[in-house]
Amino acid sequence: MSEANLQTSTVIPQVEVQASKPLKRPPGPWRTAWSKFRRNPYAVTGLVVLLIFIIGGAAAPWLTKYDPAKIDMMFVNVKAGTDGHLLGTDELGRDIFARLLYSARISLTVGFSVAAGSVIIGAIIGSISGFFGGFIDTCFMRLVDVMNSIPLLFLNILVLAIFGTEFRYMIIVLILTSWMSVARLVRGMFLQLREMQYVEAARAIGVSNLGIIFKHLLRNASFPIIVNATLMVGSAILSESALSYLGLGIQAPKTSWGLMLSNAQEFMLVDPLQAVYPGVCILLVVLAVNFIGDGIQDSLNPRQKMSERRIDRWRKSFLKSKI
Amino acid sequence: MEEKLLEIENLTAGFLTVGGTVKATEHLSISIEKGKTVCLVGESGSGKSVTSLAVMRLIDYNGGAILEGSIKFQGEDLAKKSQDEMIRIRGNKIAMIFQDPMSSLNPVYTIGDQIAESIMLHRKKGKKEARKMAVDMLRLVGIPAPEIRVKQYPHELSGGMCQRVVIAIALACDPSLLIADEPTTALDVTVQAQILDLLRSLQKELGMSILLITHDMGVAAEMADRIAVMYAGIIVEEGSANEIFARPSHPYTEGLLKSVPGLEGARGEELYTIRGNIPGLSQLPEGCRFHPRCPYAKDICREKAPPVMAVTEDHYASCWMYSEEGGAAAWKNETKPEVSR
Amino acid sequence: MTEFIIRRTLQSVLVLFLITLVTFGLIHAAPGGPFQIMLAPGLSPEAMEIQAHNMGLDKPLPMQYLSWLGNLLQGDLGYTFKNHVPIGEIIWPTVKNTFILMSVAWLLTLVIAIPWGIYNSTKEYSLSDQTASFISYIGFAMPTFWFGIILQQIFSIKLDLLPLADMYSMDKEGQFGDLMLHLVLPVTVLTLGFLAAYVKYSRSSMMEVLNQDYIRTARAKGVQEGKVIYKHALRNALIPIITIIALDLPLLVAGAAITESVFNWPGMGRLFVQMAVAREYSVLMAITLLTAVIVIFGNLLADLLYAVVDPRVQLGKRGGRSA
Repeated sequence: MSEANLQTSTVIPQVEVQASKPLKRPPGPWRTAWSKFRRNPYAVTGLVVLLIFIIGGAAAPWLTKYDPAKIDMMFVNVKAGTDGHLLGTDELGRDIFARLLYSARISLTVGFSVAAGSVIIGAIIGSISGFFGGFIDTCFMRLVDVMNSIPLLFLNILVLAIFGTEFRYMIIVLILTSWMSVARLVRGMFLQLREMQYVEAARAIGVSNLGIIFKHLLRNASFPIIVNATLMVGSAILSESALSYLGLGIQAPKTSWGLMLSNAQEFMLVDPLQAVYPGVCILLVVLAVNFIGDGIQDSLNPRQKMSERRIDRWRKSFLKSKI
Repeated sequence: MEEKLLEIENLTAGFLTVGGTVKATEHLSISIEKGKTVCLVGESGSGKSVTSLAVMRLIDYNGGAILEGSIKFQGEDLAKKSQDEMIRIRGNKIAMIFQDPMSSLNPVYTIGDQIAESIMLHRKKGKKEARKMAVDMLRLVGIPAPEIRVKQYPHELSGGMCQRVVIAIALACDPSLLIADEPTTALDVTVQAQILDLLRSLQKELGMSILLITHDMGVAAEMADRIAVMYAGIIVEEGSANEIFARPSHPYTEGLLKSVPGLEGARGEELYTIRGNIPGLSQLPEGCRFHPRCPYAKDICREKAPPVMAVTEDHYASCWMYSEEGGAAAWKNETKPEVSR
Repeated sequence: MTEFIIRRTLQSVLVLFLITLVTFGLIHAAPGGPFQIMLAPGLSPEAMEIQAHNMGLDKPLPMQYLSWLGNLLQGDLGYTFKNHVPIGEIIWPTVKNTFILMSVAWLLTLVIAIPWGIYNSTKEYSLSDQTASFISYIGFAMPTFWFGIILQQIFSIKLDLLPLADMYSMDKEGQFGDLMLHLVLPVTVLTLGFLAAYVKYSRSSMMEVLNQDYIRTARAKGVQEGKVIYKHALRNALIPIITIIALDLPLLVAGAAITESVFNWPGMGRLFVQMAVAREYSVLMAITLLTAVIVIFGNLLADLLYAVVDPRVQLGKRGGRSA
């Protein structure tokens, strides 16, 4: 080999970028995701709509002077706009606008607490199952099988029939019938990541088991879990409204969109609009959280626009809360 | 001069994206004579696969299109044909085999069905006869016990066997041109040699031309009559295989040859790598496309794209080094590194 | 094959056993136990004891469980608490009614969804594809019962075209034409819900197949584009679709609690809701078990079908795919 050859054979792994400014620290995953999320019109609309409902629910006492539970037989089925009743009153003279606002509180509380509870329980079970494997894993996965073999809508109804239709029971039973997808997801992540190099490396430098779990693994699973959780919010809101409609959820004098619809169906002949408002609210909120979920998903992985797993999750939520 | 079977002239093919057209190949010209093998060599991303898809007009299904130029095959311009006309040519006069044999076969049909399909399509044979011919084809490509194999599904065969089946499908209708897109890349080294041997002997037997696409100079050395080296969508050097190996004239070809690990090199010697990466198609550099990675780059290379120059008769390179305008003299005076081969 | 079936059956029996335990346990975990509702109100303590003794409610729980399980195995579902009617007599007629409703909705869904999804896979972002996307989002976010109520308002009350609810009109019991009219609205509601999932599912499944190398091989062979899609791609794309279909089969019997309640359809889902409100625990247990059996059977069927349609799958060897 000639001299010149030796000169050119130095290994230079990357082309040096000509005349480029020194790069700032690359933005973190959260920031990148947010900047992509921001450019997705559906996701942003969803976020705005959700915020409006959250504010509406939170500020309900300031937005209306009426008590949603106050029965006023003097003003039954008043038309919209009369006497400060923005959307009129129902068959018992309750202000519809006030009921819608206070229902938003209930629905959003159910949605977010069920999602949070399911994520916590699912993450715990999934981590234990995926990290330790073996017998523990088998047991938990059988449990998931059992849960998936019972029609979950029936199970919800059964539990509420037995324990009574208290608000906290509803949240608990919805959590207990929703955690499986998160557990599966976290477990899958674990099995996948457990073999990876950097977990080995972390073990090698003596990080404890728990340290490995929380530092490395959950961080990798956090985005898919968030996407899953947004879908769960929508699903839980639908479940709540369906259960309330069937008379097994929220009970008067409390108020909920599903309960309002159940009343409205009886008085359909008198005022059909009463059946429209609560349904539109449910539709908007669920659409909003689904768009947000899609926005997050796309900001992470734009190619995988509609993965089968996601469709499958949608399908399950349909069977659980809507059929 | 023998008859040309395929003549690609001035071919520009690309993809339509949101950001506009991305040209994967530009002003590409190449021709194949009857019974000969031409190798398109280059790194992944150099546009060689796009060229093959363009010839087959399969590029239309990948969101791409032929933007300019002609593809003359047996006197007809494939670039102007409709897909209805192309389906009579594909699998019949021009056949193609692909990189990954395992995924190139439909998992839910038996291999016999898959070979027979193309015979039934182009030879208008009945199902029974086509099946019989399928067995013959399997025997031709050297698959043992073809009567049994014909009823098996792809997942029951090894990778090498699958590639033989893919070749059998391609050759079922006795094509005049076979396009082989990295036919051995996904296979084990020993199997690679077998498949190349098979292709060579089949070529002798059937008299077809082969357009072989590879990134592997070793494969090209074994198969090619002519070699065209592609870089970032253009052909940078073209010539007979002997010429190219004896006198690699473009710095890129030179780099490719040097980066082939050889048995004769001293052990422990650092393997040559061409510095940098192939540029993305949407961010091609000004001037010569290779200049950011070229060890000999001069100012003119950064400003103007080089013309195609004849190095010797029938050996062309697209480099300023051979042009008077580029000051060929200047390079000659420098120590142009000899390629020791 | 036989080994696989035996193993799966044993697994199913185990899951079923767990489900009986869970449901039995749930009911006896009810505050105050099942006694209060089971016993006729207004009885003297002595009479209550006698009645409890007659119903076997004074035995220890494990004994009660065993005798209940024993009866179940003999096909004896027990009696209702009120009126003492055999549970089987209540359930079986509803199974038939549910099957009528669900099979019509489901077949309609398949007939529309699979061709539509496949068509959309080749025409990405076309008007048809966008419409399907729109339907999916709305279908997933809209509460079924609300959609039902709105349809009732428009088509029964405003336009008076279709019957409001029930399976037959008062004087037309058993007439086919009348049944068809009554089917229109609930079937529309259910089909929209199903469609949302199935169109997307068949589209994404087809899209994935169309990106595979063997589709390119087929085109390179000179196969016509129509045949590429309907012969080479479809057969592969149908594999996951068929699996989902089999998994959903149990719905044909388990029914649609919410839709049946909206339209007062005398099916098993509505029965479950009614019995839940009436706290007829033994009926609830029986229906839960029945549906669980059917779901487990559906899962088994899905696995078997999978092996039939996909030559790569060998029963009992999950890893046999994609060698």
